[in-house]
Amino acid sequence: MSEKLLQLDAVTIRFGGLTAVSEVDLSIGHGELVGLIGPNGAGKTTMFNLITGVYQPTSGQVLFGGRGLLGLRPHHRTRMGMARTFQNIRLFGSMSVLDNVRAAMQLHRRDGWRQALWRGNQARESERGVESKARELLAIFGLEERCQENALGLPYGEQRRLEIVRALATSPRLLLLDEPAAGMNPTEKVELARLIRLVQERFKISVLLVEHDMKVVMSVCERIAVLDYGRKIAEGSPVEIRRNPNVIAAYLGQEVADA
Amino acid sequence: MRLGGARRWLVLALLVAAAVSAGSGVMNRYYLGVASEVGINVILAVSLNLINGYTGQFSLGHGGFMAVGAYVAAKMTLVFGEQVGAAFQPLLFAGALVAGGGAAALAGLAVGVPSLRLRGDYLAVVTLCFGEIIRVVFQNSAFFGAATGLSGIAPWTTFGWSWGVAALTVYVVLALVHSTYGRGFLAVNDDEIAASAMGLNPLKYKVTAFLVGAFFAGVAGGLFAHMKRAINPEGFNFMRSIDVVVMVILGGMGNTAGVVAAAVLLTVLPELLRGFSDCRMIAYSLLIIVLMLLRPQGLFRRSGKGGGL
Repeated sequence: MSEKLLQLDAVTIRFGGLTAVSEVDLSIGHGELVGLIGPNGAGKTTMFNLITGVYQPTSGQVLFGGRGLLGLRPHHRTRMGMARTFQNIRLFGSMSVLDNVRAAMQLHRRDGWRQALWRGNQARESERGVESKARELLAIFGLEERCQENALGLPYGEQRRLEIVRALATSPRLLLLDEPAAGMNPTEKVELARLIRLVQERFKISVLLVEHDMKVVMSVCERIAVLDYGRKIAEGSPVEIRRNPNVIAAYLGQEVADA
Repeated sequence: MRLGGARRWLVLALLVAAAVSAGSGVMNRYYLGVASEVGINVILAVSLNLINGYTGQFSLGHGGFMAVGAYVAAKMTLVFGEQVGAAFQPLLFAGALVAGGGAAALAGLAVGVPSLRLRGDYLAVVTLCFGEIIRVVFQNSAFFGAATGLSGIAPWTTFGWSWGVAALTVYVVLALVHSTYGRGFLAVNDDEIAASAMGLNPLKYKVTAFLVGAFFAGVAGGLFAHMKRAINPEGFNFMRSIDVVVMVILGGMGNTAGVVAAAVLLTVLPELLRGFSDCRMIAYSLLIIVLMLLRPQGLFRRSGKGGGL
């Protein structure tokens, strides 16, 4: 149990009379790439918000690195090593590409307002370190030439990429991607799949991919969990999932599965 | 974006302010008075810009913070002014300004911590009410002279003091905002949810902005009291807060250079147009309406891009 990075035990959340997520167990090991899929309204994003602390579960618990996360707000969880992207891109619109990444690197720094005001040699050294590390990260993802541009001036695909870079800048152990393929064309999706694999290999971190698009998930993930109506209806390798009658029923409807 | 050699500029600005101050005996007193007022308004506008512009909170409490600083600083110099020798007067003045700023910062904390969970209009209403409460408290406190206020305050606010502190304010706000730490203020403004997802605590940034903004508003209040030599609660009413907000909007939210220019403009213009002073608030309202229609990003902003100087 302790070797799992993220562990969800019988997590349930109710909004009034509606049970959005019901008794879901899920675990992610170190360096593992797990997909979470399901039809529209299955509770994928709710699950995501439960893990990142936007919602608190009605019952059940979420453990990260063996520690309970009850009551911890999103910024605490990010400091513990959990980083996320957003389904509808949420970059910092008033800042440059570089500053978007810099802003995400503050959380582990000791320098605060005192260093900002005094600007001694050490503080300047530290600022230079942040900048070069940010540039390095951007270079890995081919965004180094865009450094000084406004973040929202980038084309859609690059904005998605920048969101991933920004999340990685918080030095996470677990990267949570919320529907990164949403709104992408087929070429961009192939590129995205390559990118996710690159992240996992290069940074040696775990990835949870919440995705509506089956192709991307099937091509990238080692293990997939399927949600439907807030319940986990299947879990296994891509091949197993593809053959699972419950999954086919959930995606294509009951009759097809019967046929 | 970087603040290269910013400290050198700060030192230079302070030296210039001191030099002009030393030679001020030969200058026209009216112009010096207006110049001092310009400095005070720059302090107010630039510090409010940290709250309203960079951090994106809508505060209407600057008049209240200014009042706290003005009363505390004035009371201090009135009580201790007689007892210290002339040589120690600048020291006492500096101490009184810092005390006034500190008291205002505490007031900022008191209003900030419970109310910063509110957003937009709601926060504006709370800070507005807070400013009125402060005013009424001073109005009914015999210790602070009740409705007549305090008078006979030493005229210690010179051009040098006001511009020196203005330079310091500009430096502090710019140095904060342009550090990696300070990108958090803009991040909170841009997208609070994304900011917290990046490990930044939005509440902490908002409270810090309030604290710093209120501190400098308090110092500006102290300078104001020692320039006018007499203060009363009516001088810090709601219109005072609005004046500062207009400067920030006119200059462009989160654009320090623009806000400084707007503060200068809106201090000098009413002096030039004294004959039409009855129409001032009408002109302000019209100005804001026209500005919102034609240049919603502020007069002095180059593009929609934020975070510039």
